[in-house]
This record gives sequence, structure tokens and C-alpha cells, in this order.
Amino acid sequence: MTTVPALLDEPSSHFVSAASLRRRLVWFDKLRWAAVVGALCATAVATRVLPSSLPTGELLAVTGVLAVLNTVYTIRNRRVPPTRLPVELMHVKLQMAGDLVLLTVMLNLSGGIENPLLYLYLVHVIIASLLFKGRDVFHIAGLAIVLFTADVAGEYFHILPHHHLLSAGPITHEPPFILLTLGAFCLVQLVAAYIGSTIMKHNRAIKDELVDRQKELLAADRAKLEFFRFVTHEIKSPVATAQSAVDAVLELKGLELPEKVRDLLERAVNRLGHALTMIKDLAEFTRGGDVKRETMETVDLNVLIARITDQLSEEASRRNITVTMDLPPDQPYMLGNPGMLQKIVSNLVSNAVRYSEDGGQVNILLRMDPGVVVLTVSDRGIGIAPEDQGRVFDEFYRTSQAQQMSNLGTGLGLPIVRRFTEQMGGTIELQSEPGRGSTFTLRLPRQDLPSGSRETS
Amino acid sequence: MSTDRTILIIDDDIDLVEILRMTLENEGFRVIDAQSGQRGLDAARDQHPDLILLDVMMGAVDEGFQVAYVLRGDEATRDIPILMLTAVTDQTGFGFDPAKDQDFLPVDEFLEKPVSPRMLVDLVRKHLPAQA
Repeated sequence: MTTVPALLDEPSSHFVSAASLRRRLVWFDKLRWAAVVGALCATAVATRVLPSSLPTGELLAVTGVLAVLNTVYTIRNRRVPPTRLPVELMHVKLQMAGDLVLLTVMLNLSGGIENPLLYLYLVHVIIASLLFKGRDVFHIAGLAIVLFTADVAGEYFHILPHHHLLSAGPITHEPPFILLTLGAFCLVQLVAAYIGSTIMKHNRAIKDELVDRQKELLAADRAKLEFFRFVTHEIKSPVATAQSAVDAVLELKGLELPEKVRDLLERAVNRLGHALTMIKDLAEFTRGGDVKRETMETVDLNVLIARITDQLSEEASRRNITVTMDLPPDQPYMLGNPGMLQKIVSNLVSNAVRYSEDGGQVNILLRMDPGVVVLTVSDRGIGIAPEDQGRVFDEFYRTSQAQQMSNLGTGLGLPIVRRFTEQMGGTIELQSEPGRGSTFTLRLPRQDLPSGSRETS
Repeated sequence: MSTDRTILIIDDDIDLVEILRMTLENEGFRVIDAQSGQRGLDAARDQHPDLILLDVMMGAVDEGFQVAYVLRGDEATRDIPILMLTAVTDQTGFGFDPAKDQDFLPVDEFLEKPVSPRMLVDLVRKHLPAQA
């Protein structure tokens, strides 16, 4: 067995937590109601169809006890919050033992060893093997064997009354029949317990391993992000300084540079600028957004959008691209991290402008629905081929059309959009047709504004 | 020409200091520099420059801020405008918003690296106190 690191909230070496056990308990309550109904139906049918006379009153009484107990269980399991695993386990065992006792009484009242429903004991063993570890499963199987044997023996030695189910035939008092049936019963119970617990042991080992693997993967992913973050930080400074150096030379007044030299230096500045953009995007991407309550602010989305379109207006007008906006008239406030919102919207809008043909059109539609903000950014630009649509949100992926169109992209814009959107609990959707344009639909959950919140955007 | 105006650069990145120096000296400023917060404070007190360019992050994450607070708290240096060079926005996650943070950040302007020479000169001119 692999040991589970202590990071988990609860010990779950066999993959059960107090909460998950409680869900099972609630499910059992439902099964038990089904058993109550089943018992009522069976009693009704038996009293009508069978030639013998079963003690209907007693059968109904036992069913009533089961119903009362189950009412208590149901209330307890729904009202009392789950606490610790051992406590919950104890409850499961007690309830199951009670069920076994009641089943035995029911069987006693309906023919004992004559009644083929004795295999209902198996159901308990199966459930126990799903829930418990090896030894406990055998406890349940053993309890079933003890109870049933006690009943059969009691009836045989006339300590308990025997109610005939089918006929008053003497077979039920033939020792060979009784011993054969009891033997078969014990065998089936034990084999079921053995098989069930063995299979579940393997299952749990696999699940534990999967959990361990997943934790390792998550840790590796965090380490990778950490590494990216470190590299990004280390690289940013020298690149920025190099760019500043070349910039400073280019901008130096009274310095006559040969045209060839100036051209090369300008190329260098451009390349360094591009590298810096990528470094900044990477920093943004690896840092991730901050969605803690403290960093949330009331953001006026109209103001945010206006500011972003303003920044892009120069490029848009130079390339004769019309940006139309359909914004709600009243101030659309939402609670969120302003930096993240800004990044999401500006990446979407600047993509729309960047990948529009000259003279194209970009439309921004904002709708404040109950509980959700819907922002649609559409363009009539180059579009995205169906086979690329799933990949444009992947880090560093750029479609070949996008690469032809512009060498400015870093392949991190949409991944950042997706990451931040998901961190804010929202979704991003893409519809696109090559040559006809793309439409990105962003949906963000709208949180209730705290009372007395200040406006900051 | 703004001759005789002295600008103190406090930054531990000597390459950047030389770059800024070239741009500023080319504009006729006198440039002195200090490669640590402490030396920067000493230089500010001794030489009383007309303006200080202060790097936000030298040895410690917030050394620049500490230097700025000391400068603002000292009678001798209180009136010197401070332009703060930052690269920190991308790094630690506390983004600055001068409009919002001005109340408790004792500097006159933030300049994100890489600094464009033209913007640097413009901002230096803007914040230099009128010549006596």
C-alpha cells in the first residue's frame, strides 16, 4: 500500500471521508425506504397468494420498526453535519447491524430457512465490502451467519416458533436439509465477503495511487509555473536594460548615425520589445490572477471597455477599422479583480482589431444578465479554422494565418484570457469561420456587490 | 538649456545607470549616482540634487520604498521630487496605481522599465522644480 501524504484533510487510506460516507448513508436511507415498501408489498402478496398463514401483524410491526428507525436515520443523516470518519463509520456499522437483526426477525416470521429471501443477507455483505476494509466486511458476514444460524437452530430446537411459508412439510426439520442450506449460506456469505473485500482493496489501492499521482502532477505543474516565474523575472531585467540602452542611443540628440546602423539598431529595439511583451505576458500568465475577496473591487465595465477601446483607437483608425459598442445604458458594475478583468477584455478586443483586415469591423456587446455578465467581442477578420479552434487557448499556439497576419502575437493572449476567466469562475466560448471572422463570448458570474462598496474604476 | 540641474540616480544596476546618465547628460543635466539605498540617502543629504530617480527594487524587495520614506521624512530632502523606476508590477503582484496610491506612496511618478528616453526626459522636466 502506498501511504497517503498528510496533506489530505482527512485520513482516506481506504478512500472514504466522513463527508463521502455520509453521502452513502443518505443513499442507504433511500434503499431502506425501498426495503420498507418491498416488505409491505411482499407481505401483502404473501398473505393473499400463499396457502399458509403468515403472522401478518407481526410482519407489519417489524416493517413499522424499520420505518421508524429509518425516519430517525434519515433525519440524523440530513440534519447533523458529518464530523469525523470513525464516528460516521460507527453509525454505518450500527445501522447495518440493526438492519441485519430486523431482516432475521422478518425471515423468522416468514418461514426461516424455507424463505429464499435469506439471500438478502448478501446485499449487506456487498454493501459492507464497498464501504469497509477487509476485516469489517467479515464482521458483517459473520454477524449475518450468526443471526441466521441462531434463528434456524432456535426454530429447530423449538425455542423459537416456526412459521411455514409454503407447506407444513417436514423437510424444514430434516437435519440434512438444514445443514446443507446453512452450509451453502455460510459459504456464499464468506466467499462474497472475500471477493468483495479483495476487489475493493485493489480498487482502493488504484484510487490511492491515482490520487498520489495527481498530487505529484499538480506539484510538478506548480513547480513548472514557479520555474517559469523565476526565469521570467530573471530575463526581464537584462532585456529591459538592453532595450533601454539601444533606445537611448537611437534617441540621442545630435548623433548622426549612418542609415544602416540606425536601421539595425531599430530592428534590435523591435526584437527586444517583442521579447519584453512575451516576458510580460509570461509573467502575467504564471503569476495567475488574484481572485481573493480582498483584491476584488467594484468595476464599471463601461468605463473599463471605454478605456481599452481608447488605447486601441490609434491602431483602429490607422487601419480604418470601425469599433462599435453596444453597452448597457446604466452603469454595469461588477465585483472582480480589476487587473484581471482589464487583461481579459483588452486581450479579446486587441485580438479582434489585430486580426481584422484593414477597413474591418469590431463589435463589442455587453449584457448584464441576472447573475452573469456576458461580453461578446466579434470581428469580421481572418477567422480561425475549425481544427485550430480548440488549440488557440493553448500556450504559445498561434495559427499559421495569425502568424502571417502579424508577428506581434506571443501566443499567450488567449491562454491568459482562459486562465483568468476560469479563475473567476467564468467561461469563454469561440465561434469562428475562416475568412468570416471570430466571435468570443465571455461569461462571468456576477457577484453581489457589498453594501457601501466604493467605485474605483 | 537646463544646465546645472543635478539628478541623482539610485539604482544598483550599473548598466541602467549608465544608460540613464547618457540620456540625461545629453540633455544637459548633471548626473550623480549611488548603487545602494544607503549611499543614495547620503548623496541626497550631502549634495541635495534637484531630482531623484529611484529604483524600486534593489537588494530587498521594497528597498526603494524605504529609501523614499526616509527621504520624505527628512527635512533636508523632503522637497526633492522622486521618480520611481519600477519593474515590480509584473513580479510581485502588487500593481501600482499612482492615482490611487499617491496618498501613501511618497513619490511623484512611476516609470516602468524599460524607460523610453523621451518619456524620461519629459517627466524629469515636468517634475523639476522651477529654477530659482
